Amino acid sequence: MLAAGCDVGALTTKAAVIKDGVLIGVEVVRSRAKAVQSAFDVMNRLLARLVLSYEQLDNCVSTGYGRSLIPFARSNMSEISCHGRGAHWLMPSVRTIIDGGGQDCKALRVDKHGNLVDFRMNIKCAAGTGRALELMAESLGVDVSQLGPLSQEARDPVILNKLCCILTQIDIKRLVLEGRNRADIAAGINESAARYILQLVRGLGPRNDIAMTGGMAKNIGVYRYLERALDTEFVKFPVEPDVIGAIGAAVLAADGSR
Amino acid sequence: MIYAGCDLGVAAAKVAIIDDHGDLAFDVISYKSPTPQAAVDAMANALAKAGLSGRKIDRCLSTGLGGKVVPYSDGVAPDKLCLSRAVRRLNPRVRTIVNIGGQSTDAFHIDSKGGVGESAVTDICVAGLGMFIEVIADAIDTPLDELIRASMDSRNPLPIASQCVVFAESEVISLINENCDKFDIFAGVASSVAARIAGLVRRIDVIEEVALVGGVAKNSIVVRDLEEKLGLRLAGFNGVDTQVLGAYGAALVAREGRDLSTEAISMILAERFYGRRKQ
Repeated sequence: MLAAGCDVGALTTKAAVIKDGVLIGVEVVRSRAKAVQSAFDVMNRLLARLVLSYEQLDNCVSTGYGRSLIPFARSNMSEISCHGRGAHWLMPSVRTIIDGGGQDCKALRVDKHGNLVDFRMNIKCAAGTGRALELMAESLGVDVSQLGPLSQEARDPVILNKLCCILTQIDIKRLVLEGRNRADIAAGINESAARYILQLVRGLGPRNDIAMTGGMAKNIGVYRYLERALDTEFVKFPVEPDVIGAIGAAVLAADGSR
Repeated sequence: MIYAGCDLGVAAAKVAIIDDHGDLAFDVISYKSPTPQAAVDAMANALAKAGLSGRKIDRCLSTGLGGKVVPYSDGVAPDKLCLSRAVRRLNPRVRTIVNIGGQSTDAFHIDSKGGVGESAVTDICVAGLGMFIEVIADAIDTPLDELIRASMDSRNPLPIASQCVVFAESEVISLINENCDKFDIFAGVASSVAARIAGLVRRIDVIEEVALVGGVAKNSIVVRDLEEKLGLRLAGFNGVDTQVLGAYGAALVAREGRDLSTEAISMILAERFYGRRKQ
């Protein structure tokens, strides 16, 4: 039995395929202007690599911001359900999931069966999201993927105390101009994003085990800050953290076709 | 004696040169990220324009985001002071200054002597303010001048729901993909920016005349919408580029303090001119 999941995010689009309860492939592409294009991009690529066709899929569930528009998906589910289901399917001890996406960040709790209990997410403001991190990295003059490694060399992290990432960009430009150490600035950027995420998690009331999904989990600075602040070691996944929503969608697709 | 002001801002370096009798030259260099070298280049250009190449400036004050790193500066003057001095010089009737620039977004009163009074500042969220427009213009992928000109005639401004610039950016991209007219989109953005600026101004009393300074002052569609929302005409500056007001004010302050030491000026600046803040 073949089940697929497709997660059309604001910045990247992800797909996963499960065969008889085993994950057989994942794929990630940069999102394009239209959700449908991104979904076909990623699914065409993944199916080609697995030497499969759309007709062979028993079920497919879509998620993400363009989830209702995907023609090859039989149904769609919220990102929250998919991240919860995906994380719990991979690591059954997980009860709290912190998901840092391109344009959203959320914290959710699941029960021992992986069903959603409660969640918190950002609504009006992009603070703590991947896009905010990208913009701040741009002001520092590095790629967003460098923020994590660079911050590990920090000795005296700067304090960036503004919530708005655009206002923080200006503070970063001033610090760069004044010749502050770049690693210290990178650490300050990570902490400013992590602080906001932490607020959401605290509002939810976290339970162990905790895991982090979404692109934000790839940033070692943010990851470690949250581990320290929540005083626990996060559960690690056997896959990249940004494909867990797509895996969750595939699991829900498999559930649905049984 | 020759005095200068340098405003090393978020988007451009501005230099003004004056002497004891009048104004000599202005120069503006735009950039993506500020550098001390841009301040040096703008000064060289301004000196050349004034016919003073190679001449030493007697006193120069700096201001703006990078005020501290202007290599030839004798001291840093607060932005509000510089703006109020420049505005008072060019239009003494102004009592309310609305500064929507790259670095700051605030509204404040000045009295007839140029002292700074009550002020309101937006420093939590950039929603609807100066940078909003730049981010959206980038997303629409059309030069700002053209957008402003063509959007003036829009009959159907599209409202943007998102307050956050980051979300507004993707909202605008979706609207473009749905084949909405880009000038209707921009007119909607300009109108929401004008509404938020009007909200900021109303947090202090609106005492006429009101002057709009900073980058947004060049955006004629926002100016028009703001005048409509406040129900008044914004003050003019006889054609002087509002972008150089900070640098010009710094030069004026340098001239005022010609008989004082740099340290004395710095102390006076710090004590006297930071206005009361109203959140």
